[in-house]
Amino acid sequence: MHIPDGFLDLYLCVLMYIIALVSLRWAWRGMRRTLPRSFVPVMAVSSAFVFVAQMLNFPIIFGTSGHLVGGTFLAMLLGPHAAVLSMSIVLLIQAVFFADGGISTFGANIFNMAVIGGLSFYIVKILSNSSSGQKRFSMSVFVASWLSVVLGALTTAVQIGVSSVFASAGGMMVTVPAMLFWHAIIGFGEAAITTTLTSQLLRVEPTMLNGFAMLRGVTYERHY
Amino acid sequence: MRGITKALISIILGLALLLPFASTSPDGLEKVAESLNIKEPEISWSGPMPDYTFPFTENPYIPKLISGLIGLFLVLGITWIVGRANTLKNRVSK
Repeated sequence: MHIPDGFLDLYLCVLMYIIALVSLRWAWRGMRRTLPRSFVPVMAVSSAFVFVAQMLNFPIIFGTSGHLVGGTFLAMLLGPHAAVLSMSIVLLIQAVFFADGGISTFGANIFNMAVIGGLSFYIVKILSNSSSGQKRFSMSVFVASWLSVVLGALTTAVQIGVSSVFASAGGMMVTVPAMLFWHAIIGFGEAAITTTLTSQLLRVEPTMLNGFAMLRGVTYERHY
Repeated sequence: MRGITKALISIILGLALLLPFASTSPDGLEKVAESLNIKEPEISWSGPMPDYTFPFTENPYIPKLISGLIGLFLVLGITWIVGRANTLKNRVSK
């Protein structure tokens, strides 16, 4: 879902940079409020995990592949604010060092993956409705992580669809259904991985999930 | 700290073991662009390791593993610094 340089019109790149900066400011301030300092190692290692997981594409059908984005996973571990920042750091390293996602499209990529990924926390919150059941939580994570990929694909499709490079190919009328088709499938991979990981962590190391604690209004201090 | 070190080692092992099985097929967006006959425009910035390889090698495993490890530690380090800078000391739990 990483948009390369050249796919988006200049005005859209600028607009998405502005939206990304506003979101990062929100994330920075929110993280200070919601993430205890003792979670810094968890934040660093989970971001490193997401970077590695994004390199490991899994095949889907018809010669297409997908990979974990990890937004919902980070949101469950860290809470929405720190998740947005973590994912943005992953995207920054990918763009600068590996040309995975463009520099001009960096703002758009932050919005499509980091912001939507982090905000999927609130989808979990609405769906789980503060119920303490593990099953309800897992189902909510499953749906939220699937939606985070599909919604990210939708905003990506709109962005490329209104840009001139894709105009001759039919614009949004073509890009939206095509992106939704592939990512509806890829989203199941995302949902399966995210749900498995978070339910396992919840079982063996529940104090590692600051996002989960935030859903319940609990604050954890971790001790090492 | 031990749990964190363990997690980090598992991630590195996971990368080393799973990398040969990672799919090299185009991802969703690349597939859409390909099917519409849209090529990635001449890139203005390719970075030192475009697509997780070095420009001068053929065998993809070792360069991919090395760029994966470089990226992993860059992400780890920067996130750690941001985390330290943006969390409060001695936060009292409620």
